[in-house]
Amino acid sequence: MSDASDGRRRHRERWRRRVCLERQLHDGAALRISSMALRLGALDRAAPQRDIDALQDEVAAALEELRAVAGQIYPSLLLEAGLGPALRELVTARGADAAVHVTADRAEPAVEGAVYFALADVLEAAAGPLTISVRTERGPAPEEDVVVVVIEGADPALAPPVLDEAEPLGGTVTVEDGAETITARFPCA
Amino acid sequence: MRVALAEDGALFRQGLVMLLEAAGHEVVAVVPGGDELVAALANDPVDVALLDIRMPPEPDGGLVTAERLRAAHPDMGLLFLSHYAESHYLVRILEIGTEKVGYRLKEKVGSVEVLSDTLSRIADGEIVIEPVLAKRLVERPRNDRKDVVATLSDRERDVLRLMAEGRSNGGIASELYVSGKAVEKHIASIFDKLGLHGDASVHHRRVLAVLTYLRSQRGEN
Repeated sequence: MSDASDGRRRHRERWRRRVCLERQLHDGAALRISSMALRLGALDRAAPQRDIDALQDEVAAALEELRAVAGQIYPSLLLEAGLGPALRELVTARGADAAVHVTADRAEPAVEGAVYFALADVLEAAAGPLTISVRTERGPAPEEDVVVVVIEGADPALAPPVLDEAEPLGGTVTVEDGAETITARFPCA
Repeated sequence: MRVALAEDGALFRQGLVMLLEAAGHEVVAVVPGGDELVAALANDPVDVALLDIRMPPEPDGGLVTAERLRAAHPDMGLLFLSHYAESHYLVRILEIGTEKVGYRLKEKVGSVEVLSDTLSRIADGEIVIEPVLAKRLVERPRNDRKDVVATLSDRERDVLRLMAEGRSNGGIASELYVSGKAVEKHIASIFDKLGLHGDASVHHRRVLAVLTYLRSQRGEN
């Protein structure tokens, strides 16, 4: 195995670990804290209601922070429902001015994660309206499929953060001259 | 009220049972997954079933289980509990039914009052949606939906009301004695007036329109 393909393999392994970390947060700390909210609510009315309310607010705030961290590790919706729903949710949550068209098939967590976080960076930095399309380009074999992301209306300066996510998977990013269109290719294996 | 609960996290399950009992509800089944819930309720339906979304059968067993329960017992209320409030799941839930359903964050049903209010509204036929999610969906940027429902024509309001009741286009057409084409035209006009165009799918816009309507009915803006 060449050094380059070994590097890509290890990078994909890191993505899988991120998926596991999110799962651990969800099934562990988050569930434990959520159940505290319910136990507080079931406490005997001898306890002062104001104290219970204050503790429940703290619990809700802790969960909100956990959700934010989990979303940075690997969004649960991305794992469960794929790029289309996850990107639409991201655009809605950020109030971003972007149209998202996803026709891509489900891909492994590394590829979907890389595409998602690359576009999250772009949405964060972009000013104007964006049109983002994500499709699968079929290869001769399934492991040669490529997820192609086209971002229209993007400042070419946004290409480097996209490349940061695409390159470790063996992908590429091209910018069309003067067209404000970034095209990124994420190989599926 | 008679309720049943399916949730794969043991701690949360225990906490919820404790709270349900403190609220005076009769918990007739407590199970760790969807298949067990369907089996437990096969001959003994409850008023409301509480389901975790992310539980066995993976990945989102709560949803497939709810579809089976709704088919077997159309009158049974369904309350989905999740660690995440996502419009993607709301759309899927509203595909299962637009009556007697609820979708709330796990930690937000943490008092006897809130839990009982949520359950009885569902049993009464309402849609109960986590407020933070409804707010996020309706308050899109660049749109001011204040009194926007008031800008609809009477006929458009009828169509929207029937959409909110979960009717299909065909159902709305026969209810109003108009053609399917006419209904489509009204819906397009509703989407337009509510500022729902562009990036969202037709189904997503339908849900947003319904949410806007529900909020206006409750006097929220």
